Amino acid sequence: MSEQAQSVKSYNNKKGFWKKLKLDFKNHWQIYLMAVPVILYFAIFNYAPMVGIIMAFQKYQIRKGIFGSQFVGMTNFMRFFSGPYFWRTLRNTLLISLYGLLLSFPLPIVFALCLNEVRNTRFKKIVQTISYLPYFISVVVVVSILFDFGKSNGILTQLAMKFGWSGGAIIASDKWFRTLYIGSNLWQHLGYNSIIFISALAAIDPTLYEAARIDGANRWQQTLHVTIPGIASTIVVLLILRLGQIMGVGYEKIILMYGPSTYETGDVIASYVYRTGILDGDYSYSTAVNLFNSVVNLIVLWTANTISRKVNETSIW
Amino acid sequence: MTLRKLLAFALSAALLAGCSGGSSGGGGGETPSGGGEASGPAEIPTSDVFKGETNQQTYPISSEKITLSYWYPHGNSIGTLNDFNDSEFFQWMEEKTNIHIDFVVPAVGEEANSFNQLFIADDLPDILYTSPATQKYRDGMDAAIEDGYVVDLRDYLDLMPNYVSWLNSIPTAKKDALTDTGKMYGFWSFWDNMESGYADQGISIRKDFLDKVGEEIPETYEDWERVLTKFKDELGIEAPYYTSKYGIDYGEFMAGYGVAPYFYQVDGTVKYGPMQDEYKEYLTMMHDWYEKGLLDPDFSTRQSTGVAADNDMILNDKIGALIDWGTRMTDAYISRGATNPDFYAVAAKQPKKSASDPDPAFRIVNNNFHDLQSVCILINAKSEHIEEAIRWVDSFYAKDVYLNANYGIDSEEGTVWYAAEDGHRIGDYDFRYSNPDGLDSATVAAKYWAKNPPVRVEAAQIEQMPEDRAASYAVWSTYESKNFIPTTVTMTTDESSEYSQYYTDLEAFVQENNVKFINGQRSLDEYDAYRDQLKSMGIETCIKLQQAALDRYNAR
Repeated sequence: MSEQAQSVKSYNNKKGFWKKLKLDFKNHWQIYLMAVPVILYFAIFNYAPMVGIIMAFQKYQIRKGIFGSQFVGMTNFMRFFSGPYFWRTLRNTLLISLYGLLLSFPLPIVFALCLNEVRNTRFKKIVQTISYLPYFISVVVVVSILFDFGKSNGILTQLAMKFGWSGGAIIASDKWFRTLYIGSNLWQHLGYNSIIFISALAAIDPTLYEAARIDGANRWQQTLHVTIPGIASTIVVLLILRLGQIMGVGYEKIILMYGPSTYETGDVIASYVYRTGILDGDYSYSTAVNLFNSVVNLIVLWTANTISRKVNETSIW
Repeated sequence: MTLRKLLAFALSAALLAGCSGGSSGGGGGETPSGGGEASGPAEIPTSDVFKGETNQQTYPISSEKITLSYWYPHGNSIGTLNDFNDSEFFQWMEEKTNIHIDFVVPAVGEEANSFNQLFIADDLPDILYTSPATQKYRDGMDAAIEDGYVVDLRDYLDLMPNYVSWLNSIPTAKKDALTDTGKMYGFWSFWDNMESGYADQGISIRKDFLDKVGEEIPETYEDWERVLTKFKDELGIEAPYYTSKYGIDYGEFMAGYGVAPYFYQVDGTVKYGPMQDEYKEYLTMMHDWYEKGLLDPDFSTRQSTGVAADNDMILNDKIGALIDWGTRMTDAYISRGATNPDFYAVAAKQPKKSASDPDPAFRIVNNNFHDLQSVCILINAKSEHIEEAIRWVDSFYAKDVYLNANYGIDSEEGTVWYAAEDGHRIGDYDFRYSNPDGLDSATVAAKYWAKNPPVRVEAAQIEQMPEDRAASYAVWSTYESKNFIPTTVTMTTDESSEYSQYYTDLEAFVQENNVKFINGQRSLDEYDAYRDQLKSMGIETCIKLQQAALDRYNAR
């Protein structure tokens, strides 16, 4: 005990980083050992491939490889910025992300709060299980269900027509793309995404509720003044992480869902990269487009984190 | 966690490069062999043999058994076999040549993508069966040789006497076999006995529906509109005319307007369909038909990209007419599960504007023209067995081998095929379509033949069919494919990369707008603005590059 206290003290006092590390390593080498696979994983799969970013500034040719291809500076980026798809893919990426965030971020919290108020444990368990079952359905299956329901005589189209829609199959309409994309995402992930909030709720000290009750707080006031502050830091951290994904609309579901008639609202940067890079083999260009995407992402993430750190002292770094 | 995912996603393209950087870094140092040695156009030796009549290879090709890997993108033609080595033909071939083939079959639908990957990983199989229309080395055919991936066959002409005999037997073949710089990129594939154009796909219409509404096979667009309207009103057909998800086909239906989809040529001048006024007229008609419910209301969400349709729609009488394969005409769908016992589809000619018009000359099909199929077999320049690989492929150009590849091996006479009165082979229809062992027709084909071999016999598919089904080929084959731009035109490395830089975006844009003009998302009043958009996206550069390549081809 005293030895540990000693080391913590000296840890804080020592000047050099390497000395601290050495001492820490000596005391906790087992833990460092456990971290090795993770460090290797990141080094091999996430850091080493970054060398490939060079391609974004090259006219990459397969035979010449990364180190031999001609350097062309910002040409690939300029081609994207001045090309016909820049504004559209950027707009679609941001809109799908933002609308998705507005809906699919708060709703799991609301769901968790509601569930938290349910007193019958059995009923609670059943609702919870049912709500996250869709998460385990493959996205391919979800999209094919959408196609079936969204055909011109499908149930969703029929439903939309009851509300005055007259544009034919909603799955083929660019006006419905985002709604269907986000709606099905929500349906699929609502239950699963609420798990983390439910566990955060469980961690709130019950004595706080007791105290609140003694002070005369009703259920609603307890929620407002005990429950929500209790999970606020979880919410903020998750929100920052979500903001970091703002440009990261994955291509998988998009390429399953979009078609010539929905490119207008459905074509995002990731699907464009997929088309130019994977399908057409234009590696330099698609790397440049994706790099642009990542940089914007990083800026958003960093900004959100900085604001959060200043405002309420919660941040991911 | 999320941050990691983010990084992983953001750098997925970069990762791809990481792989290639490692491998091509290793291979880059080696000097490519073969490609650099010969210079100037190849002198193709003359040959007394006509189209490989006598096999000039000596067998076995290898004294000790060797294994060659063969990239063979025929995953959707394997039927229920596990491996193409279960095919009788390839077993016979192995016995004859003493070469075992290790088939590398890419996932169905991923062929073009996995073709690209082969080069990135620098891991080419010894032999590659490719369709250059979709599977092409991005920097062009010359570059594939110059970069040391693919053997320049003119260094090995003496090893391929059968192929050389074909080059000598067909007047235009030498022109197609060489690139603009005189290199030999690969073995191009031929048709045997091609007399006119061969078409195994075309417009198909339900004869039983026509009979019900008291109509003949329509000939003009006016006829078509009347017939399709009756299909819709009297029979309640959901998709009187089924079109691909891009709203257009390979040119069959728009031929009467004197225009074609994508690039085509008129007497040596390259044109681009959507830039023509006639194309706009065609889209106007299609939009009109869409509004009237004569097209599939859900066409843009279908899977079809050109030929054949969603099976459940055909089988359940939801389609009146479509573009389909010749093997599926007449009552063929009944054995596939069509619910209507009267199912009977017949071939229709390409529609024209007025009955007095001559038959439209267009027939833009992307896989067949005259003597050449657009299949090209490449040899890996780094293979340890280049010579054996070349001799193995060359064998397919000898008559004894290609007959076996097209019809089934000699010893199967009387079962898989039988000899006609004049001695030529005819495939046994019943053996293929009601197989005694209970095999489905695709599996029979995989088990006894080679899929689309380097020399294809035109009659093999048609002659074995009942007459009424074979008739469809005759209807579709009456058109000259003189507006087709040959697959064997070649662009230089710089041209290739400039072209694909523009054209990838353009193609997706055109497909998108075809659909929008047809379903009314975009008004046809904007067509001129649309053409200006195409211009700003570089269509004129693309046309110019295509024209240059075609001019060089014509000058060969």
